[in-house]
Amino acid sequence: MPKHRLNALPARTVIAASIALAAGAAHAQTATETELARRLDQLATELAAVKAQLAQIQQQRASAAPAPAPVATAAAAAPAPAAASAAPAAPAAPPAEPATVLTSYGEINYNRPTHANQNAQADMRRFVLGYQHRFDDKTKVVTELEVEHGVSSADDPGEVEVEQAYVERQLTPNLAMRAGLFLMPVGLLNENHEPTAFYGVERNFVETAIIPSTWREGGAQLIGNFDNGLTVQGGITTSFDLTKWDATSTEGKESPLGSIHQEMALAKSHDLAVFGAVNWRGVPGLLVGGSLFTGNATQAQAVAKARITLWDVHARWTPGRWDFATVYTRGSISNTAELNAALVGNPTLIPKTFDGFYVQGAYKVWSHEDYALSPFVRWEQFNTAKSYADLGAGLTPDAARAERVVTVGANFQVSQGIVLKADYQRFRENADLNRFNLGLGWSF
Amino acid sequence: MFNRGNRVLIRKSLTWFVGVFGVVLLAGCGGGGGDSASTASVPVETPLSAQAALGEKIFSDVSLSASGRQSCATCHSPDNTHSPTNALPAQFGGALLDLQGRRSTPSINYLSFNTAFNFASDGTPTGGFFWDGRATSLQDQAGQPFLTDFEMANASKADVIDKLSRATYADEFKQIFGADIFTRPDDAFDRLTLALQQYQREDTDFRPFSSKYDEFLRGNVTLSDQEMRGLALFNNPTKGNCQACHPSGKAADGSFPLFTDFSFDNLGVPRNPLIARNDDPAYYDLGLCARGDMDARTDLCGAFKVPSLRNVAQRHVFFHNGRFNTLKDVVTFYVQRDTNPEKWYPLNADGTVKKFGDLPTAYHANVNTVEVPYNRLLGGVPALSDAEVDDVIAFLQTLSDGYTP
Repeated sequence: MPKHRLNALPARTVIAASIALAAGAAHAQTATETELARRLDQLATELAAVKAQLAQIQQQRASAAPAPAPVATAAAAAPAPAAASAAPAAPAAPPAEPATVLTSYGEINYNRPTHANQNAQADMRRFVLGYQHRFDDKTKVVTELEVEHGVSSADDPGEVEVEQAYVERQLTPNLAMRAGLFLMPVGLLNENHEPTAFYGVERNFVETAIIPSTWREGGAQLIGNFDNGLTVQGGITTSFDLTKWDATSTEGKESPLGSIHQEMALAKSHDLAVFGAVNWRGVPGLLVGGSLFTGNATQAQAVAKARITLWDVHARWTPGRWDFATVYTRGSISNTAELNAALVGNPTLIPKTFDGFYVQGAYKVWSHEDYALSPFVRWEQFNTAKSYADLGAGLTPDAARAERVVTVGANFQVSQGIVLKADYQRFRENADLNRFNLGLGWSF
Repeated sequence: MFNRGNRVLIRKSLTWFVGVFGVVLLAGCGGGGGDSASTASVPVETPLSAQAALGEKIFSDVSLSASGRQSCATCHSPDNTHSPTNALPAQFGGALLDLQGRRSTPSINYLSFNTAFNFASDGTPTGGFFWDGRATSLQDQAGQPFLTDFEMANASKADVIDKLSRATYADEFKQIFGADIFTRPDDAFDRLTLALQQYQREDTDFRPFSSKYDEFLRGNVTLSDQEMRGLALFNNPTKGNCQACHPSGKAADGSFPLFTDFSFDNLGVPRNPLIARNDDPAYYDLGLCARGDMDARTDLCGAFKVPSLRNVAQRHVFFHNGRFNTLKDVVTFYVQRDTNPEKWYPLNADGTVKKFGDLPTAYHANVNTVEVPYNRLLGGVPALSDAEVDDVIAFLQTLSDGYTP
């Protein structure tokens, strides 16, 4: 059995790297310098204890007990919050069995439209159960199962879906390969969308309507983590299915890509897509990145070939108690004139372009022990039908007006993984949607 | 650190990765864009099975009628999309071909996609064959005209089989269904109707999908400006809204539209004085509620099947009672029924319009007055202007099979 990796690296280097990445990763929690030092000492103590126990176990039998892979890779690649990935190092693993870790997050939301309070609603929005199973220090499988809206059956509004199911293999300390059903590395919210990871009860519209909510595809990708703070991802995945476009319903107006994603459910795969994402966390507290996705989407079953392209740029900066974030994303579909010809007159034709942008600022105004209160403001503007291809006079739909939403509220964190939220949202175009929201979420 | 070993491995991985990328991209780029789309839904002609071939003979065998001059093909003429070539509101049958039927003869094309009558999960009556959906299958429907006194007017199933046993293809019938089949007339009649069903299902003449609109959906042809305007008005839920009952788009599974959802609607079509039964003012053709099994559903009185609009431009009479003879009248009726009822209904003695006069007053509330385009008010603006009606008709003309560029 190879000598244990943990012995090879100095403990402080590992911890420092993990803290730097935890601070830079898309996670709601940021520490001051004092807190950083305190945590550093805390983790160093814990690690020393673990190493002692490990040495003891190694002495007792031939097969090595499992240990966490280099924390650098685990924090960057795993969707669970970085703080939780230190937990699997607990020495309670049974002899000769790799670590299996249960993960979960949940959101319970309450919405009350202020102009139509007869539509007030409380919902078990998401209940997610998942596991990560580590075969050895280089190989793991990550899965997540989600139940939406509490009850799922033919007569109930809920849905059950596999949100993630992939295997990951560390090829080198800097390079990992991931294959299966995984979340697309787009925007700030897609890969890290637990309720503790974002401000506000509802996920923002830019990253649910333009970047489709919880966007996942099946395929393979390489993930490179470099010591300069750069993470580069690239891969091949399934694409969208434009033949699913329903011109008679409003789904396409709410989220163009959300209405045609395949979610690896008997997904048509004549057309595949490629994507790339670059994220830089070289400076602690700063994340800057972007992504590009492109793939044909008519699956050789429509009268024309059409390509869907979506790109985004994003940044997050967490100096001191502040937390600033911004995302701009834009999608485009080619040859929509040919695809729309047979659909003229219907309410929802395929748009040529759609985009969204938001800026958000939060400030941790109060914290005590494991409580923390962070009010925030978010301004976002998005347009699900920014332009249509010309179909001829009288036949071409008008471009939609961009919707603008302002959200003001606060997250109240209780311990590491529980959050209470409240906010108020104002819609410029559709004031009937103005609403007051409350939420409870957890994640581990 | 970024040592040499790691660099080599990374370079190898990326080279392999780029190689796979390249293959996938090329694979994605290759091939014609719409290969499968350009021939989609074109029915593949295969030789008819023995039963279907027999059904073809039975379909046009006039000897199977009391008059000796009427077969299925007489009214469902292959020369006109299996519907009548004449402009009679109801065909004549009986032993002397002098008894007028109740309703207009529908086309029997594109019916292999229909199901038995049922209530959908939201309560909508759906399916069934005939104007009132009373037959459960093509087989069931095929057998009824043989025995109706104003159609082929045979006295009984045994009477039909007696005639069949003397047909030129009787030996073929025995060969397929058994030498003793004619000794069991009820069974033989079932086989006869089965053969007719198989013929209608297998012969692609009953589902050609060869109209200009089909070619347009395949990407092989473009519609004219007027036809495109007509399609847009047809689809627009605030203008024609025709596709609400006559779907015009490809289904989720890629199958081509049938221009009917096989449901029922009550349009309040005016009474047709050319149907002899209507001479009796107490007679009303109540459609769906008058089948015998739905007497309690008085809310469905006056509702009739939504027919397919494929080949609608080939028809000479329209609606269940053949009240109109031109598409112009039909489409104008849809949009002006409520804005200008005096154009469509007779006047009472006191000068008021006898609107929905083909229904008893108690059932006037059953008429559909909530769906576009027949949701307008007296004196209001019709959903389609005269020019727009012409556009819609131009589009409907693209639904005729047998299109050649």
